[in-house]
Formats: sequence, structure tokens, C-alpha cells
Amino acid sequence: MTQQTFKSASKRYWRAFVPIMLVYLVATLAGSFYLKTFEVEPVWLQTTVAVACTLPMLLFLFIQIRYFLETDEYNQMIQLKGFAIGSAITVGAIFLIGFLQMFHVVDQVEVFWFGPAFFIAYGLSTYLLGGRQLL
Amino acid sequence: MKNMIKALRAERGWSQAALADQLGVSRQSVNAIETGKYDPSLPLAFSIARLFEKSIEEIFEDEAASNTELAAE
Repeated sequence: MTQQTFKSASKRYWRAFVPIMLVYLVATLAGSFYLKTFEVEPVWLQTTVAVACTLPMLLFLFIQIRYFLETDEYNQMIQLKGFAIGSAITVGAIFLIGFLQMFHVVDQVEVFWFGPAFFIAYGLSTYLLGGRQLL
Repeated sequence: MKNMIKALRAERGWSQAALADQLGVSRQSVNAIETGKYDPSLPLAFSIARLFEKSIEEIFEDEAASNTELAAE
């Protein structure tokens, strides 16, 4: 098995990350602008735009996992801990807000925002765990 | 785990980045190992030992064993 070094893993990550984020940006901006051109937005088109915006994000998560597997062991530990803590915080928030909604304490919350919330929780956890050295 | 990496690296005039490059890890990994914040895996410890042409025991101090020896004395 070829041993991936930290540098080659990082290069491979960034080479995939930049185009994926560009596709995501174009898909979300172009998709939402295009949808606004319709008086009544067709459901099939809304669904297509939603799928087109989600696919790059899924791909991003896969390259993130590939990076975890290829990077050096210390960085891998920091990233995995950050990912686990970020996931735990987000799932905790989902349960809390879900129960608050069921008990009619809070109004409907857009589920979409749990996605960005996860990335913020993951990023902050990684940073606080020592990942700040990696910046 | 205490180790001699910083001293061995200094003897050779290597920076953390230079050592990291030779080991295929990040500079932050070398820093974390040197400062005892992170204990390397056995394969990485062997790579370090090979690079410095020393045995693992010469580079890393087994604190648990040292404590046991001290307690026995």
C-alpha cells in the first residue's frame, strides 16, 4: 500500500475541495436565481435544483473522509475528534430543537440550517482540540 | 511520553518542518510529539527511530516502566 504523506493528502484534498465548492456556489446561486424567474416554481425544477445543490456537499463530505484516511495520524486524530464532537453537538441540537417544536415552545425551524451548524461545530471543535496549530 | 526528539533534531540541525518532511507528517505532528502532547503510533515511532539510527527505547522514555522501577527501589 502506498503511504500517503501529509503534504500529498493535503494537496489532494485542496485539489478536490476548490472545484467542488465552486460547483456548489454556482449551483446554489444559479439555481435560486433561475427559480425566481418563474411565477409558480415547478416542483420538478425545485427538486432538481435541490439535488444539484446537495450533490457537491455530499461529494465534499466524501473528500473530507478521504482526507481523514490519508492524512498523518496526529492530524487524523484531531480531525476525527472534531468531526465526532461536531456531530454530537449537532445531533444534540436537533433533539433539543425537535422536542421544543413538539412542545410548541419554538416555531418551525428550517432543517437546512443544521447543515451549516454542523460545519461550524466541527470547525470550532477541531480548532479548539489543537487544530489551531494546523492553520 | 517523554522523548529525545528535540535534542536529536537539534544535533542534526534539522527544523521541525525538515523532520516532518522526512517522516511524511505535518510539522504540527512533530511539535505535538516533541512536546509530549501526542504519542506516536508504533510504525511512526519505528520511522523516527530509523531516521535517527537509534532504537525506540533510546528515543522514547517508557514513563510507566520508570515509575514501576522507582517504586520497586
